[in-house]
Amino acid sequence: MFSSVQRQTARLSHFFPQNARRFQSAAATSSTVNAAEIAHFSRLSSTWWDERGELAMLHRMNPVRVRYIREKLLESTFEDHGEDARREMESRREVLKGMDVLDVGCGGGLLSESLARLGARTLGIDASESNVGIALTHASVDPQLSSSGNSLEYRHASAEQLVKEPKQFDVVCSMEVIEHVDNPLAFLSACAQLVKPGGHLFLSTIARTPLSYFLTILAAEHILREVAVGTHTYSKFIDPSELISFFQSYRPSASSPSTPTDLGDMGSGASPRPWITRTYAHGLPTRLEAEVRGIVYIPWTGEWKLMSRSSTPWGAAQCNYLFWVRRPMDS
Amino acid sequence: MVVFAARRSLARLGCRQRAFLRYFSSEHTRDNDVVIVGGGPAGLALAAALVSNPAAKESLKIVLIEAGDLSKIQDWGMPSDAYSNRVSSITDASQHFLKRIGVWDYVEHARTNPVHQMQVWDGISGARITFDASEIPESSEMARMTENLNLQRALLRKLSDTPNVQVIQSVKVESIEREAGDTNHWPLVHLSNGLTLRARLLVGADGFNSPVRSFAGISSYGWSYDTQAVVATLNHASRGPFQAPNNTAYQRFLPTGPIAFLPLSPGISSLVWSTKPHLATVLSKSSPGVLEQLINAAFRLPETSLQYIYKRLLEGATSSEEIKGEIAFRERSDGISSHSAYASATSMVSKGGIPPDDADALPPLVTSIQPSTIASFPLRYNHAESYLGEGAGSRTVLVGDAAHTVHPLAGQGLNLGLGDVDALSRCIAQALTQGSDIGSYTALMPYARERYFENHKVMSAVDKLHKVYSSTAQPVVWARSVGIEVINELDSVKAALMINAGAGSQLQNASGWDLLAKSIENLAGFTNTSKMIGSTVGAGIQELAKNAGQRIFGRL
Ligand SMILES: Cc1cc2nc3c(=O)[nH]c(=O)nc-3n(C[C@H](O)[C@H](O)[C@H](O)COP(=O)(O)OP(=O)(O)OC[C@H]3O[C@@H](n4cnc5c(N)ncnc54)[C@H](O)[C@@H]3O)c2cc1C
Repeated sequence: MFSSVQRQTARLSHFFPQNARRFQSAAATSSTVNAAEIAHFSRLSSTWWDERGELAMLHRMNPVRVRYIREKLLESTFEDHGEDARREMESRREVLKGMDVLDVGCGGGLLSESLARLGARTLGIDASESNVGIALTHASVDPQLSSSGNSLEYRHASAEQLVKEPKQFDVVCSMEVIEHVDNPLAFLSACAQLVKPGGHLFLSTIARTPLSYFLTILAAEHILREVAVGTHTYSKFIDPSELISFFQSYRPSASSPSTPTDLGDMGSGASPRPWITRTYAHGLPTRLEAEVRGIVYIPWTGEWKLMSRSSTPWGAAQCNYLFWVRRPMDS
Repeated sequence: MVVFAARRSLARLGCRQRAFLRYFSSEHTRDNDVVIVGGGPAGLALAAALVSNPAAKESLKIVLIEAGDLSKIQDWGMPSDAYSNRVSSITDASQHFLKRIGVWDYVEHARTNPVHQMQVWDGISGARITFDASEIPESSEMARMTENLNLQRALLRKLSDTPNVQVIQSVKVESIEREAGDTNHWPLVHLSNGLTLRARLLVGADGFNSPVRSFAGISSYGWSYDTQAVVATLNHASRGPFQAPNNTAYQRFLPTGPIAFLPLSPGISSLVWSTKPHLATVLSKSSPGVLEQLINAAFRLPETSLQYIYKRLLEGATSSEEIKGEIAFRERSDGISSHSAYASATSMVSKGGIPPDDADALPPLVTSIQPSTIASFPLRYNHAESYLGEGAGSRTVLVGDAAHTVHPLAGQGLNLGLGDVDALSRCIAQALTQGSDIGSYTALMPYARERYFENHKVMSAVDKLHKVYSSTAQPVVWARSVGIEVINELDSVKAALMINAGAGSQLQNASGWDLLAKSIENLAGFTNTSKMIGSTVGAGIQELAKNAGQRIFGRL
């Protein structure tokens, strides 16, 4: 009764850095959803959980993201409560136990499942119905995720819709989403509003550099044709400095978020203080407020690597990078 | 509570997801995180390694299934002067691993024996290499001879002290199938006791004929060596007061295969005699009195004389007296003095207790064979094409002999398996800190990457050694002796070889095998060239070739 299996040959895509970047759909509202993109990703969503398929790169990127989230949360615990508390947290099997975590643009649930396994009360939201369906289906066959001890929930919703509800989160993540939305400023503002005071926001996206154009669009989509043409739009890539400048001037207003026209000109209403108050040489924020870290695919190990803080002023954020910012307790 | 949330949301979305409702766990189906098939050294060590990690111990539901009766192994015991015939050399790296997972303390140390030195020589040219542990820094022994049962018992005792692993013994895996569903299907393992286990991760530690490997559709590459290994436990005189203790392993490369003498205690050693199947059949059926003489002769007589003895044996000369007569005759015609260590008829230690000069170059004379310890195993080379299943075979991983089988001449099989287990358990522990699904391909990829080529290097080096040394063609034998002598002169290469032989840390191991593989490849290439030169090879050319060889080895 031992059935045999078709063997898949190694694909070029496994060796090329950015080819399989995100088919995860954009998180969206009526205002920022790009209908064309959602349709595009939904078509591809059945391949979501094929780790050897078109999304291999994405599956491989997940561990480095989770490691980064873990690292930053441990670091913050150290800053807030000292070394003993950090150690205690690190020794726990479920590092995120007791935390409310939101995964905006959860796609098939890759990151949400990992966060739930680490003990977080996790809500994954996505603007694509079919992605939410895939995520639900996938989690439902895993007893660890579907047992009563765990809490993982998915909703077909956008960040902007969630803002209208009273709930805020200890951690808000939105990975490889912002470069797909139509109005990134409104999107960022919505994500920020969903963070509790003292909570964390994690983003990952692509910088607008010649390198990123070459790797993610020219090579991956047009030359190698490993990624469907139209997956990325260069002009939507976002530089780390733009995110930093956003949080230097970001002041949430109690009413609905305004829709500014320029980065850095966001919601300049009255608020105690912005999330980023100081920057140093090269416009770098202090480590306690925000951080930018490049991630790079290493073809010969098949893994994504987190660049060290010191590798360049921008943590080697030449193409893909992770961004973390913390909401001040008193903002 | 994803299920309930899912139902609500799906209802709201009006989504039709067939697979979603497909899975219900029935009374007879149990969910598990890790299902290990096989309670051999590799499977048991994996279970022990996993529970030595606090996160894995706390969060993983682990089951191990073994067809055999493990309780017999757990209660295994033998008188102190009797030894099992299945013995393995446990390398330094393996020992470190077993210590780290808290198993080494459960091994009965009095029944293990260190190997401080190895003497390896060519059966035809006589060229010899000596490896000595004292030549490598930070290592007192190259390896430790340990009965497989001693190790398995230690693993079982460790596991019974850690009740986190459910061990199901005397139960066979009858079939494995893929759970129905569109996505994320898990393997279902049907057992002979009627139970079905659903596995997040299915581990094939089920030996050479791995049912898990067939289920996963992983093909493997290999061949049978047309060689059997005859094993036995040997009694011999203890080494004299002027000699080193019984800490030397001896191996002579005969064209029929290597014969190895592995020390277990001052007066007891283990035999692994790899030879042609028809000879192995006669050897393993011969009376203990005959076999002991044949073993002594196989370490001592010139190759041509051995061929003659084999011939007589196959012709039916099977009584102890006949064999004794034949050996004595060959010794006389080969001019072996009865005072030499190469003589089998006399005691190696003279009346005054002074051994012959060359005594340390040979194992002590076998005086008897322990009852019911003669057995024979087929030898193979086999390497799975992948350690991870894919597609319909996903969520499966192979370790130990299920992944690779290697010729025992370098004593590596079990050690490679322990290396796999070490890497896999670390990989799983890392995946847990990342919230990964430990059955996923991505989570397991680092394991395969760490082990596949590492094992491949060792396996092909061992395979090439076997092939180079089973040739009797003159130029090959000559090149071999040159090669070996060159190796002997170069301390760095020798140190590398010694690391391979057992000593050294894991990291050192890697470069050691690289070096070994390179030098053997060179030796093999050298051999081909010399074949081309053929019979016209004169002394001058030999000298030239030797210099070339030195350059080759010198570059390493
Ligand atoms: C003569 C000889 C000498 C050797 N010397 C050395 C040495 O010096 N050093 C060294 O490192 N290695 C040595 N080896 C190799 C070593 O013995 C093996 O590599 C090692 O035993 C493999 O362990 P394992 O756990 O992977 O597989 P195995 O020991 O083969 O265990 C597999 C287990 O799976 C079980 N199983 C299989 N199918 C099923 C099923 N359907 N249901 C339930 N259970 C099942 C079997 O009952 C068995 O217990 C030697 C081998 C030989 C033949």
